[in-house]
Amino acid sequence: MTGRQRADRRAGLAFVAPAALALAALALYPSLWVLWLSLQHRVPIFGIARFAGLDHYLFLAGDPRFWNAVRVTLIFTGVSVALELALGLAVALALQRQRTGRRVAISLLLLAWALPSVVTAKLFEWLYHPSAGLVNVLLGGRALNWLGDPTTALPALILADVWRTMPFVALLCYARLLTIPPEVYEAARVDGAGKLGTLAFVTLPLLRSILLVALLFRTLDALRAFDLMFVLTGGGPAGRTETLTVYAYRSLFQTLQLGFGSAVGVVIFALVMVVAGAYLRVLRREGAVA
Amino acid sequence: MSRAALLLAAVLLLGGCVERPDGAGAVTLIFKHAKILGPTDPIPGLLREFERRHPGVQVKSEPLTWTSDEQHQFYVINLEGATPSFDVLMLDVIWVPEFARAGWLLDLAPWVTREELAPHFPAAVEAATWGGGVWGMPWNMNVGVLYYRADLLAKHGLAAPRTWEAVLEQAERVRAAEGDARLDGILWQGKQYEGLVCNVLEHLWARGTKLLGDDGGVLPDPERAAAALGFMRGLIERGVSPRWVTAGDEELTRRPFGDGRAVFLRSWPYALDLFEQADSPVRGRVGLAALPGHEGGGPGAGATGGFHLAVNRRTRHREAAVALVRFLAAEPAQRALTAAGVALYPTRMALYHDPAIVRARPSMPRFHELMLAARPRPVTPAYLMLSTTVQPEFSAALVGVKTPRQALDHARRRLQYMLSGLQ
Repeated sequence: MTGRQRADRRAGLAFVAPAALALAALALYPSLWVLWLSLQHRVPIFGIARFAGLDHYLFLAGDPRFWNAVRVTLIFTGVSVALELALGLAVALALQRQRTGRRVAISLLLLAWALPSVVTAKLFEWLYHPSAGLVNVLLGGRALNWLGDPTTALPALILADVWRTMPFVALLCYARLLTIPPEVYEAARVDGAGKLGTLAFVTLPLLRSILLVALLFRTLDALRAFDLMFVLTGGGPAGRTETLTVYAYRSLFQTLQLGFGSAVGVVIFALVMVVAGAYLRVLRREGAVA
Repeated sequence: MSRAALLLAAVLLLGGCVERPDGAGAVTLIFKHAKILGPTDPIPGLLREFERRHPGVQVKSEPLTWTSDEQHQFYVINLEGATPSFDVLMLDVIWVPEFARAGWLLDLAPWVTREELAPHFPAAVEAATWGGGVWGMPWNMNVGVLYYRADLLAKHGLAAPRTWEAVLEQAERVRAAEGDARLDGILWQGKQYEGLVCNVLEHLWARGTKLLGDDGGVLPDPERAAAALGFMRGLIERGVSPRWVTAGDEELTRRPFGDGRAVFLRSWPYALDLFEQADSPVRGRVGLAALPGHEGGGPGAGATGGFHLAVNRRTRHREAAVALVRFLAAEPAQRALTAAGVALYPTRMALYHDPAIVRARPSMPRFHELMLAARPRPVTPAYLMLSTTVQPEFSAALVGVKTPRQALDHARRRLQYMLSGLQ
């Protein structure tokens, strides 16, 4: 390394330092603190503060409520993200073909996405109302017990989440569609590709990297899902909609078991990091992320 | 002012804040409380009256966030952080022992004698004096009660039920005779939240058992507890309660009854004020009764709730803060809070027989009886842990995912682990 390169490197580090320090203070320090807390018995109300080692993790390993929360979180994430991607893509393709009213359609899409999630939750509370709810009225006046039945509560929440965040995927895909030059489609037509062929061999491959980015964002969001279930079902009935974040909130802020709640938090953190790491590897291979 | 907003007055959620320029006074007290929604908010007037009597002291109202969970979270973060940023706080009665145990509240014992507490409901005083201190002054009172359609019961020659068996039988008889598919039997709160715990506690008490035994043991009588949960599940299975009560909270259950679509409703006193409003379909047709007992069990009792006023231990103005709490809990202030248009119920028992108040609210003496017969939820600093642990289990029994036995067994094992960690 020449002296010039070394000087460049030093200057580079100096420029990066403020950002690195800010990140360390805002992200690294709290993360390490939570990790440390998760190894403690810490219940301030009862004046309990002693080292616990891996006690909390061992308890979680055999805790049915924890495993139920893991299951709920994974089902919620898998199903809602899959539906959001499929519907978002379909809406983006429809938007592209739409001749008039595109602006209105985009505004309406944005509306659903821009609503604060607590407002969305309240909206769906009325939609799912057992006797007066629009959903049951549309289904021919049935009295389905959407949020109170252990089999339908989670699907009902997934539906609400899809309604709320599908527009995000749709707009991302639509933006990418706008950048595909018409010549590409012309070439496909000249080569004799039909509508389906064009979609499968031209449009989708070109959308691939943006879909992966949407997948990454949506998955990480869904893994941390909290507000919809907190407002609509409180995690019930029978804990069937209690996600890991709801469980962590109840342990941390409601019952103030800071050590135990932190252990749940660390598990969520680890889960999100593993998923994010896997996606980033795929994205790098795709060349979508430098 | 919509009905929903009016009801909030009773459930006492939050509100806006009264802005006053700082300055003149040497002492400024910050008072954290939920704003009383409704046609009249008596609190600003009371605070000005307090300032007039205590020259040099100013009181600033600060609003609390909307939900009970958020209020709790706000207090926990600020009190654990030992902040003196507010002096006087309004808190849910179930948090009083918790906050006292954590050392966040000023012990009022040097100022407040037992005699000063005696005029308040014993259930409210029990929470305020947990562990021998005086951690707050009772401020308003709540109780679980049974509403019934007096017109429908009279039409079919029935008297208000005293046992759950009678509720079941009467509901089925009235529904069969009316032949109205839209008329439900009894509505109650079965959603997985704090309200469910109140409902289950009332059924446990009706069976002569409880959630925490006298020795602190969890669910001391599993036989009876399973019978209680099984009865609640049975209400749903027999169709006396609609299936959706498993998602029902206060408002979701109050509305259908208020629209005349249920024979019975288990709810709180605020609901009666709404049933008796001028445009209510059930106006003048609603009867008020104690929660039923069981044949061969004890008499029924409603669960109590309500709010207390306490002083932040970190306050810099002890004397003034204690004076404010005592002023607001005293007779004139509680009377003002009971004035027409405010659906709040005082903790001072004499007000329930005060001629002026009874004229405006004729059911006050009846509520006095019901509140006297009622019981508090377990008075323990671990109450929230207790409640959030049993909620999913009770809910599982109600929706039939677990048998009552399994649910109780799981609840008990989990609670024993959690409580043993607190030793």
